[in-house]
Amino acid sequence: MNKISVLFFATMRDHIGQKSISLDVPDKTNVQGLKSVLAEKYPNASGALEATLVSINREYAFPEDNIPDGAEVAMFPHVSGG
Amino acid sequence: MTEFPTIYSITEDELDLNDLLEQITLPSTGAACFFTGMVRGETNKDGLPPQTEYLEYEAYIPMAEAKMEQVAEEIRERWPAVEGITIVQRIGRLYPLTPTVLIACTAAHRDTGVFEAARYGIDRLKEIVPIWKKEVGTDDETWIEGEYSPKPGE
Repeated sequence: MNKISVLFFATMRDHIGQKSISLDVPDKTNVQGLKSVLAEKYPNASGALEATLVSINREYAFPEDNIPDGAEVAMFPHVSGG
Repeated sequence: MTEFPTIYSITEDELDLNDLLEQITLPSTGAACFFTGMVRGETNKDGLPPQTEYLEYEAYIPMAEAKMEQVAEEIRERWPAVEGITIVQRIGRLYPLTPTVLIACTAAHRDTGVFEAARYGIDRLKEIVPIWKKEVGTDDETWIEGEYSPKPGE
């Protein structure tokens, strides 16, 4: 199992109801797999999880990217700074 | 060769535009292009409250600062004549008329790409730097969401 943390920002935090969680996931879990795990845990957020942007260790990540042990994952909507 | 200054940060403090300009002005500098955005109090656009009481900004600070550094590197690749670069975003609760963001580029002369470089900087910030804002009106609030989906390597 890999120990990871997942941070939620903006609307994703509202959907999940928490700023961050710690999670154990099987080796070779990818971004799509993590979204499925979270959708089971937070069924109300399943639509938002489909659309969310994802980063791993502060770089943008994509559905097939594997999540390494100790990773800091973040989930958030399209950015709107300025 | 002089090391050109690159300043990037997320801050809760008021933006001191004069001080930020001074930090990227070198003896060789003859031109600076500034873009600053501020909170608009009145908006005529569908789906948004026409009167804004304030905007609430938040950021994923370590990633946002890393992406700002990346934007500055992209500017240097495209406009090597640019000397100083500042990219600063203020977060927290910000009221109308308040400057929220600054992108500034300096160079020896105005025809070196400084205008385009500053424009590129604000456009890229709005694409890849993880910052979000919620617009709060007199009786409703709306998260503002961008449209850009970063590609691998961005």
